[in-house]
Amino acid sequence: MIPQVDSHYCANCLENMPSSEARLKKNRCSSCFDCPSCFHTLSTRATLAQPRPAPEAGGGDAKVENKQPKKMYYLSCFNCRWTSRDVGIPDQPVASGGWPERSAPHAARVSQLLEHYRAVAQQEKQDKLERERKKFAIRGKYITLTDKTGLTGAVARSIAGLGDAGAGAALAGFAPAVPKEDVEGLPEDAFTKEVNLKQITSMPQRLASPEWQPVSVSRLHPLAKLLSVKRSQRCRACDHNLTKPEYNPGSIKFKIELLAYYHVPEVKIISCEMIKPGAKSTLLLKLANPTGHEMALQLLPAAPPPPPPHGETEAATEDKDDSIEKSLDKSLKLDKEPRWPHVEPPAILTRVTPPAVTLTLAPRDDAAEYDDDARHEPSHIILWRKSNKLALRLELTTDPAAVEGSPARTALTVEYSYRNTVPQSITASQNRDHTLYTTVYLDLGTVGSAGL
Amino acid sequence: MALYEGIALIQEKQAVVLDLGSEYTKFGFTGEAAPRCIVRSEFWSPGLRGYKRVFDYKDDEELYDNLVHMLHLLYFRHVLVNPKERRVVVVESLLTPTRFRETLAKVLFTHYEVSGVAWADSGRLCALTLGAPAALVLEVGAREAEVCAVIHGCVVLRSLQAAPRGALRVRTELARLLAEDGAPALTDHVLEDIMVKTCLVTTRERAQQWASDSPPTPAKSVRYPLAGAGRGRGGPGGAVTVEGRARELSAEPLFAEDGEYCSLQDLLLQCIMQSPIDCRRALAENILVCGGGAALPGLRSRLREELAHALTEPPYCDRLHLTSLKFHSAPAHANSVAWLGGAAAGGGGAGAGRRGPAGGDARAGGRDAWLRARRLKDWVCLLDNTPPDHPAREHHLI
Repeated sequence: MIPQVDSHYCANCLENMPSSEARLKKNRCSSCFDCPSCFHTLSTRATLAQPRPAPEAGGGDAKVENKQPKKMYYLSCFNCRWTSRDVGIPDQPVASGGWPERSAPHAARVSQLLEHYRAVAQQEKQDKLERERKKFAIRGKYITLTDKTGLTGAVARSIAGLGDAGAGAALAGFAPAVPKEDVEGLPEDAFTKEVNLKQITSMPQRLASPEWQPVSVSRLHPLAKLLSVKRSQRCRACDHNLTKPEYNPGSIKFKIELLAYYHVPEVKIISCEMIKPGAKSTLLLKLANPTGHEMALQLLPAAPPPPPPHGETEAATEDKDDSIEKSLDKSLKLDKEPRWPHVEPPAILTRVTPPAVTLTLAPRDDAAEYDDDARHEPSHIILWRKSNKLALRLELTTDPAAVEGSPARTALTVEYSYRNTVPQSITASQNRDHTLYTTVYLDLGTVGSAGL
Repeated sequence: MALYEGIALIQEKQAVVLDLGSEYTKFGFTGEAAPRCIVRSEFWSPGLRGYKRVFDYKDDEELYDNLVHMLHLLYFRHVLVNPKERRVVVVESLLTPTRFRETLAKVLFTHYEVSGVAWADSGRLCALTLGAPAALVLEVGAREAEVCAVIHGCVVLRSLQAAPRGALRVRTELARLLAEDGAPALTDHVLEDIMVKTCLVTTRERAQQWASDSPPTPAKSVRYPLAGAGRGRGGPGGAVTVEGRARELSAEPLFAEDGEYCSLQDLLLQCIMQSPIDCRRALAENILVCGGGAALPGLRSRLREELAHALTEPPYCDRLHLTSLKFHSAPAHANSVAWLGGAAAGGGGAGAGRRGPAGGDARAGGRDAWLRARRLKDWVCLLDNTPPDHPAREHHLI
């Protein structure tokens, strides 16, 4: 799976931001701020400020207007009591936005540098083109005007005042940095002054604003809140969207949600007897059909899946338990080297004797959840059946060579029919039912001692 | 200007610049003045139930997983862009282990499917931020101090110097000095905080006094409160007293001479001595001190004093005749100078798959090229550093 950035939003005010706008604002929210001291979210506080009457206030009307107390806003942190007044940021007349922005200290020099290197790159490109043109210059049969007069293209351009004047000017106008004899030393009172730890910023506080990296607390400025993103996920092999969240930042639902949890039969261990080397034991499994269609299941010994019959691509996924987190985590690990051999499957010493019957699972029915009575079947394999679930009794044979205390693992391949409900093109409609294979690895604790 | 840049951005995706340091990682976009984020090189590991450092690895598999998690954090938490089909400029040391580079390339190309990666060494990038034709770059990182001479955008590989004299060395010395004063064992983060807030690099004169029998009046001691340890009210248990001696002397290992020419001043002078004779003077007049460790107050002036003194003594006094030492100041904070160089190189049209502006970046590579060869070009590898007219190439030995 490839995670992708889907939409930007602010985690505090839950406001969406289009990606182009987010890019312009450097992925920061324009109205929410974090505390530069403890990184808690700052809240806007209002005060009533009596505007000072101007000394040479004129008419009486103006005076009456001025008497009106004005609401002023400042930012304050409820966690550490930091306020924007501490660092001398003037109060703002509007509640959100309008906070003064600082320009980065080295911005001018850096843009100069960038322009210079852009010019250098352009010059290089031009030189290269020129060289290539010279290499492939076709000499005609006839003497051209330029040959006669010695007026080559470059000369003509320079006479006409064209050419790479822009790049040249940028190159000429650039001044390299000037080194200095003296360097800034320690301040005079470095060895005599008391150190006030409360006035010096810590590393996280400095690094929170990489442009400024303030050393003293009085230079801390509110940090605009970093946006968060919603992620969608795509298949690495076919580029299909697997999950896609809803655009609304307040919603936690998905627009597209194609998780294996909803398509692959669920295998759960009910109980298992102690595994002993060279002995037989019983394993109880529960199978559930999460899809809305009837499912035919057959258990096979663990083996690589047979080649697909009609050249259709089938992905054999491996999952130990069918819990979503586990399978997601696992696929993250498996997908990392798509063209290289997969992780070696664990050594299997315990074998399952699969029953040679095809089991049928009823479709998932939410209403049937409320039926209590599990139907017992007169079969030695199936313990009980309940709507779309059934419990199985399987026999396990353990290799006598199994070492006591080692993890007991077994594997079996589940063959199941699957009806593709995603509407495809009309031509592919006859191919809706597939037979898919999944190898399930079961971890059955540790091998017990043979004597028990 | 902003609108113009916006149009340029639509046409071509802005590349990202990655500087994976052993302590802090700098990550941001090309063409910007500062990285978007400077974060610790660690990520939350659910298996460990704690933070895991990227550089804690035993084998390639583990490193691969570390890098996948770290880059995921950087891309989706801090910079918020899709890594796919976006170019990356990787700022690396010339001495980065091949294994690390190859694994990083594997992560970037196969897991994140970036379109191209430009591998640029930090020394040259630091020089790029100056625009000066020659520069002697001293990078004091977390683990190592590296010195390289960069002349017209080319590193003089022969004179490359490195020694484990970085910020971590200062931290261990500080821990030792604090333990001498009877402080309890402190975690790395607390030690770093003490170092950042209280330590300074003392002058040469005072350092000599400290070494002699008559130490000077120490700098003021600082009571550093410990978080969570202040249970016993009024007792001294809740704080550590950082004595003036520890504050002043914790950076001394950087300048201590041990006969192996490993102190900072020795590294610089050795580098000058092994550089071509006609550019030694230029190098001495274009010294750039950068790296996170160089942010310690007073480090540059101390370095200057030490250099001036070392030039009067053997082995330098009869081999180097330098009249002046000049220092540059880069247009960025000390810890992000190399990053800025990467941003400038990438922003100047020197992205992956193309030639860099300064000195021809032959190490840039696209995704398809990597998928074919499955290896990176490296300056130490004979496949890459044999000249094209070398007889071995004619006989197809390489």
